[in-house]
Amino acid sequence: MEIIVCLKQVVDPELPARDFAIDPATRRQVREGRPLVISTYDENALEVALQLKDRVGGKVTALTLGPQGVAGDAIRLALAMGADEAVAVDDPHGVGLLGVEKARVLTAAIRRIGRFDLVLCGCESADWVERVVGPLLAEALAAACVTFVSRIELRNGALLVRRMADEGFHQLEVRLPAVLSVTSDETNRPRLPKVKDIMTARRKPVQVWPMADLSGTSLDGDAPGVEVRDVALPERTARCEFLPGDAAAQVAALTQRLRDLKLL
Amino acid sequence: MEITLLRGAAVLLLLAVAAGIAVRKLLLIYRLIRLGSGPVPLAPLGVRLRDLVVQVLAHSKVLRRPASGILHFFIFWGFLVLLSTIVQAFGEAFVPGWTLPVIGAAPWFAFLQDVFIVLVLVGIGIALWLRLAVRPKRLAGQDPVGAYMILGLITGIMVTLLLSRGTAIVLDAPRWAAGAEVSRVVAGWFAGAARGTVGVVAAVSWWAHLLIILYFLTWIPEGKHLHLITLVPNILLRKARPRGALALLDVEHADRLGASRVEHFTWKDNLDVFACMECGRCTEVCPANSTGKELDPRRLHTDLRKQLTKVGPALLAGAGDVPRPALVGEVFSEAFLWQCLTCGACVEECPATNEHIDKIVEMRRHLAMEEARVPETMADALRSLEARGHPFRGAGLARDAWADGVAVKRLPAGERAEWLLWVGCAAALNERNHAPLQALVRLLQAARLDVGILGDEEACTGDPARRMGNEYLFQTLARQNIETLTAYGVTKIVTLCPHCYNTLRHEYPQLGGRYEVWHHTQLLARLIDEGRIRPGGAAASTITFHDPCYLGRHNGEYDAPRRVLGAIPGAKTVEMAQCRERSFCCGAGGGLYWLEDRVGQRVSHVRTSHVAATGAQVVATACPFCMLMLEDAAAATESTARPLDVAELLDRSLAEERH
Repeated sequence: MEIIVCLKQVVDPELPARDFAIDPATRRQVREGRPLVISTYDENALEVALQLKDRVGGKVTALTLGPQGVAGDAIRLALAMGADEAVAVDDPHGVGLLGVEKARVLTAAIRRIGRFDLVLCGCESADWVERVVGPLLAEALAAACVTFVSRIELRNGALLVRRMADEGFHQLEVRLPAVLSVTSDETNRPRLPKVKDIMTARRKPVQVWPMADLSGTSLDGDAPGVEVRDVALPERTARCEFLPGDAAAQVAALTQRLRDLKLL
Repeated sequence: MEITLLRGAAVLLLLAVAAGIAVRKLLLIYRLIRLGSGPVPLAPLGVRLRDLVVQVLAHSKVLRRPASGILHFFIFWGFLVLLSTIVQAFGEAFVPGWTLPVIGAAPWFAFLQDVFIVLVLVGIGIALWLRLAVRPKRLAGQDPVGAYMILGLITGIMVTLLLSRGTAIVLDAPRWAAGAEVSRVVAGWFAGAARGTVGVVAAVSWWAHLLIILYFLTWIPEGKHLHLITLVPNILLRKARPRGALALLDVEHADRLGASRVEHFTWKDNLDVFACMECGRCTEVCPANSTGKELDPRRLHTDLRKQLTKVGPALLAGAGDVPRPALVGEVFSEAFLWQCLTCGACVEECPATNEHIDKIVEMRRHLAMEEARVPETMADALRSLEARGHPFRGAGLARDAWADGVAVKRLPAGERAEWLLWVGCAAALNERNHAPLQALVRLLQAARLDVGILGDEEACTGDPARRMGNEYLFQTLARQNIETLTAYGVTKIVTLCPHCYNTLRHEYPQLGGRYEVWHHTQLLARLIDEGRIRPGGAAASTITFHDPCYLGRHNGEYDAPRRVLGAIPGAKTVEMAQCRERSFCCGAGGGLYWLEDRVGQRVSHVRTSHVAATGAQVVATACPFCMLMLEDAAAATESTARPLDVAELLDRSLAEERH
């Protein structure tokens, strides 16, 4: 089984609110000096891939986009957890690409990697939550697509996947090749890497492909169809008001206010 | 003459056989101990000799349990004094009536011997009373046959000795009889007996005495009684590391990380295992065991010994591997290993100075680093440590959020300060601990101390990772911190967190980071002594102090926090029964802050019940982890005693003064 897992590096979603900032020029989150982690569901996708490999054998390739130097930690972690090979697409546009653009670059990289049975990615990224990369990859690669997958199993050559639904799950049989977007459940919590594997991961080769070398990734051609016009931090305000009068008057005033606010 | 010769030859032969059996068994044990790896750096000789005097001759640890302490004291000293009677009994095989030169025939010496015969018998009496009537829980896990066996043998030796002495007085009226008050009473029993009858009794009791002693000799290497031989070397060869420091592991070059087989331990660990006398004091004081969990520090030693004696001989014979139950997972379940709070209560209590924590951490190292098998919530803490340098997932606070509105210098902003306030994640990232931090800064500033913080550049010291067995992550974090501390030229550190204190003080030197490290209660006590902080006001409350394990047992600091509390006017302090060396962990140590306490009673709730028993209104703490645990436990058990940090209490007394 040849599996490719797409890993996105995002600014730690647990970053203290004080350190969260938006660069007004790029309309993107400021990443400098902030810890980067693998986007939450992408780690679940990697875990699902590694479990399948543990059971049926094969190869797991970790794929990420990011300017050189930045991609390192995610790739090393993936290798330490058990990925066999790693590819980082050196992306001069930084990390500000939208899902549509990312899917295009990833498609080109996957084509260059070549053979694959499965492509896994997180069901949504921890920063932009667009949920489009999986389906767009499937479209571009002419592969089957299932979203919100929590478990996969190979039985008699057929891939059985569990797709989370509102009140339960769907059990689907999928033909290969397929692109699956993965959500979390108790069976796919990312494993801790063994220390020995962390140390060997440091020596495993990582292929770094300049984005310009990948065909069909030019972003200058047709526009992605989506443009970020503005990003703003939600403003939270708190106001305190003392109602005048004695207790009875205060109760009456308060009741009226709450009614006005439709809270009563 | 011929009879004496024959008897002498028979005794020599028996002695040779018995000694041969004993030496053979002991040699095997020596080789089993040497299966372990080494070297273990030894503590300075002076320290080791002091321990020998205090712990062996003066029985400092054994005597902590009054009944079993005194009984053992009698038997131990009886054994030393009555060695003289054993030598004399053997001498009599060759020269009838022989006594030790100079002192042997002296009445005062015979008196001393008699006194100890009685004391040993009293000791046996107390032991039987303890085992048959009192039945302390800690003895339940012991092998009863072995225990009664030894009591029986000692009684036999004493009875036959008294009979030998009594009959000797009747038959020979030796000079020493004048002092042997007790033996003379025994002699009185034979007053009317025929001389021939007394002679028979004398011969039988002498032979019985010798034979019991010889059997005893062959039996010492079995089971818990081996401590007669192993305890002295175990104390003399004690390791050099301070108690709070775990062993440094060369993660890059080690061929295995941690211990998953009995032969992976050090020779000192193995010596520990053979020095254990199964007294169960460790298990009795263990907060995990006493709250109904599986962890059993005594079983840690007895089961290691069982496995070592079982598979060791085959390993010594060159068998590469021997089929056996897995040490990690079967002999000791993972739950057993993860329940240890590393609080050190067992180590503190052990009369053999065994080190329980080291062995548990070695097995955790195997789990955490070789197998990457760690309880899920602990794994989350480890992942968080790796990704963001602190173990508190979902904290959402900036490291210096507590310092808003507090005028403290920031070293990363280019400011210089004489003292670094090491904040610690547990304090910085949990709002309940912000007030103690702010109080501490106010106090230090009132004393005109020049203090700065590292802000975002501080990372976890690595203590939780190390105690969860992830030595690799500990070293990564420690090296990063040492680099930061070097860059800012830090030499003096004060910290609110005993875990940080212990790690910075005892563990960073292993990696080249050497600083003068103070716990905040130590510094506050000094500043009060120097008159630089003058507590005022009158905090009219009853306070009990909860000793944090890593300040108390691991670092021996029990007095500084009490001195600070004692300096607050109007504060009345009361002690819990479980205080100082006997303090009971809050439930957070050893990385267990990140593991839900689900089996049996919650350790933190039990601790809160100790607080409640004092009737105190305030439980003072000096550790941000203890604070979090005690706050939660107080809320859950609806305790009325409020947890407050020593710094908060002192700051309040100053604030009252300022009004």
